[in-house]
Amino acid sequence: MLEYTSYALVLFALGAYLLLDGYDLGIGILSLFDRSDRRRKEYNELIATAWDANESWLILAGVALWAGLPGVYATVLPGVYLPLVVMLLAFVLRGAAIELQSAAPGYLRGWGLVFGLSSLVASLCQGLVAGAVLSGLPHRGGVFTGDTFDWFTPYSVLCALGLAAVHLLAGAAWLQDKTVGTAHHRAGLLGRPLLLTVAAAGVVLALGLSLADPQRFRFDEPLRTTLFGLAVAAAMVCGAIAWYGFGRRPDWRPFAAVAGVEAAGLLALVAATAPVVVPPNLTVHAAASPHGSQLFLLIGVGGCMPVVLAYNIYAWWVFRGKFTQPAALTDQSPALTDSVGPSDITAAEEHTADAPVSRAPGDGPRAAVVVRRVLVTLLAVAAAAVSQDIFGGVATWIDPTGIAVFSVTALAVWIRSDRRSASAGEFDLRAAER
Amino acid sequence: MPTPAVVEISRWQFAITAVFHMSFPALTVGLSLFLSVMYTVYVRTENPLYLQIFRFWKKIFAVGFGLGVVAGTVMTFEFGLNWGSYAHAVGPILGVTIGMEVITAFFLEAGFIGILLYGDGRVRPRTMAFACWMIVVGTLLSTTWILSANSWMQDPVGFTEVKGQFWASDWWHVLFNPAFSYRYPHILLAVLISACWFIGGIAAWYLVKQRALPFARRTLSIALGVLAILMPVQLYVGDATAAFMGAHQPAKLQAFEGNWKTDNNGYNLLVVPNTDKGENELHVEIPHLGAVIGKDLTGKANVPGLLQTPKDDRPNMWSAFYGFRAMYFTALAMFAMAFAGVVLRLRGRLYTARRFHRLMVWMAPAGVIAISGGWITAETGRQPWVVYGLIRTSDAVSHLSLGAAIASLIGFVGVYALLLGLWIRYIVRTVRTGPEYLVADVGPIVNRSEVNHA
Repeated sequence: MLEYTSYALVLFALGAYLLLDGYDLGIGILSLFDRSDRRRKEYNELIATAWDANESWLILAGVALWAGLPGVYATVLPGVYLPLVVMLLAFVLRGAAIELQSAAPGYLRGWGLVFGLSSLVASLCQGLVAGAVLSGLPHRGGVFTGDTFDWFTPYSVLCALGLAAVHLLAGAAWLQDKTVGTAHHRAGLLGRPLLLTVAAAGVVLALGLSLADPQRFRFDEPLRTTLFGLAVAAAMVCGAIAWYGFGRRPDWRPFAAVAGVEAAGLLALVAATAPVVVPPNLTVHAAASPHGSQLFLLIGVGGCMPVVLAYNIYAWWVFRGKFTQPAALTDQSPALTDSVGPSDITAAEEHTADAPVSRAPGDGPRAAVVVRRVLVTLLAVAAAAVSQDIFGGVATWIDPTGIAVFSVTALAVWIRSDRRSASAGEFDLRAAER
Repeated sequence: MPTPAVVEISRWQFAITAVFHMSFPALTVGLSLFLSVMYTVYVRTENPLYLQIFRFWKKIFAVGFGLGVVAGTVMTFEFGLNWGSYAHAVGPILGVTIGMEVITAFFLEAGFIGILLYGDGRVRPRTMAFACWMIVVGTLLSTTWILSANSWMQDPVGFTEVKGQFWASDWWHVLFNPAFSYRYPHILLAVLISACWFIGGIAAWYLVKQRALPFARRTLSIALGVLAILMPVQLYVGDATAAFMGAHQPAKLQAFEGNWKTDNNGYNLLVVPNTDKGENELHVEIPHLGAVIGKDLTGKANVPGLLQTPKDDRPNMWSAFYGFRAMYFTALAMFAMAFAGVVLRLRGRLYTARRFHRLMVWMAPAGVIAISGGWITAETGRQPWVVYGLIRTSDAVSHLSLGAAIASLIGFVGVYALLLGLWIRYIVRTVRTGPEYLVADVGPIVNRSEVNHA
């Protein structure tokens, strides 16, 4: 029973990932087809606040799989090695592109292109992985035993295209929710063709699954058939709502409906396949980790999940509503800045001029300075030696107490001098700016 | 069965991705704490200097954090990609530990990072401060779980072996294993210290250039103050860690001391080991110092050599020796600089000592170098075991073809080298641009150089 709960956790994380990173991958792909630099920058900023949290769900799915069903993890990952590595590389480039692009003042064409292309590559690779897993991987004793290109089947290619369409659909729905103007209008127009594509892909892939893996669909159990039928019906209802919602108010409706479609689709897939995780015969039971590990995982993750969901929703709530440029980025007044610039530079130059010649009080003749520096160096070496507990025999009085005394002395020196610096105005930003 | 070449390539790939990943947390864990303190002080005092510091460091933090996250994502999957057999064997223990990291730490960071980076003007300052502290909690928790998992691999306890898998028999022992209690404080201090050098080095650059002076003085003072406290503690903790490792993983200690035979009491500065023959082709040492470090003041006690370990169980002396030297000598340099900082401070010359500032600029990456060296020592010193004494690395690898392994290695090396270059260029540009300047006492900060660029 516990292994089903672990499996459910994996599926929950995967579903959340499919929806959340799905929309941001979709927007990434859509940014390739938008000509306006301003809008492409906007797409990037839309993602920048959330991609990290969205990607976390994939990591949770992966790790829950590792902890709960290590047999599946050790079979699937080496089995889909190349597409998965390419996907990870795409993620790496994508993260860098989003952050560097977001940190830059304007739109950077190169990073924009990297962002779009890596989103496309990542989506296709995910589809290949999903297709490969659904059509089965050879394994023995919880470890993959097949060849390098076992993942490359006609079915997995179809899956890649289908998943890209699903991501695009979620992306369009999210755009309608978050933007105004041209992007909003386009999202509304794109929605219905994409929905049709996804529906067609769903039918083709469902029929293809019975070809890719013949022993799969055994709808002889009533429970399985009922669940499958209900899930498909729910997906169709949600699809109809999405169809109606695209291009109409309220703007959140298409995304909510797409979320429903994806959840129902995933449920239908599971209803048709469980308890097999990787066909033809790797089941939840065979792949599960021991009772204690699963219990630990489920209590730990289950206990944290409400909190995680709470602050994820809060973070989402902070950035609710239509996307707007942050105030600090748009509010630039060159006139004011220019007046600050020159005066500050002259202040700096004045400082440079007198800094090297100023001598601290207490600098004596050269010999005295040399002697003092040598002594200080020796003191430092001695202190290093003491802190290393080199003199093992005397460690009783040096040990942690000695180290603490040493550190606390340094702290006291620091605080005292820091206060003095502060009262001398060395940290005064306002004075320096004037 | 996978060929030795696949094992070797997978090891290189893991080493490269791990060191690349580790360089980012090495900076961002400490930076997140620094940012939180700065923002909290700003909220309490409303002194614009702290806002200036916060906004400047936030720019560097944002990109570093993003790169750290994506590189970490790679790590999560690499356990299964290249090390499928290992993943299957240790999943019931390490999968759970990493799972706890993801749910407690990863999500916490991911949830609040958006608010920290883009929340300015959208949320109240107090909420911002809260988000900052949540990131700190997240990064610290993350360090805790990862160190727990890694330490278990160094010194596995609290498990039973069933059907080729490791099942936890005592979770408390698994999570808080003996190695963890030494290595955790060591790495925690290390990440704080490396962030301090990074912050201090960049602040010193502004002092050298005589730009943004209050900003530079304030950050340099904070960085050096923290270093003055932490450096001695770190040397002490590091010494304890080495002693623990010497007792539990003798081969690692033998490898990083650079001796083959056990007839030497010196401290090796430079060795060129010949692994096949089991001797050093070149060997430069300080006589008797090795024994003194080993707590024998007479200088007679011999330092153990690698020949004591059976040939099949020997780690690579090259990486362990030079990894350890990189960490240790950088640490000594860091200690000396921190000490010099205290002395300069006492004499009231901290902000005018030009040569000291120039040295500080060079010390900016010191912490990251030391941490990388330390990881290389810890991880390659554990070889040929992936879980010490239980699973050999050569038995841990996935069923992969040579071509796939090589292709992915090339992919990772290419992308990571590119990103490292871009990250350094980004830092250099951000630092050249400088902190934003305040216009009068009120209102939004305007970035002078951004306007100049436009």
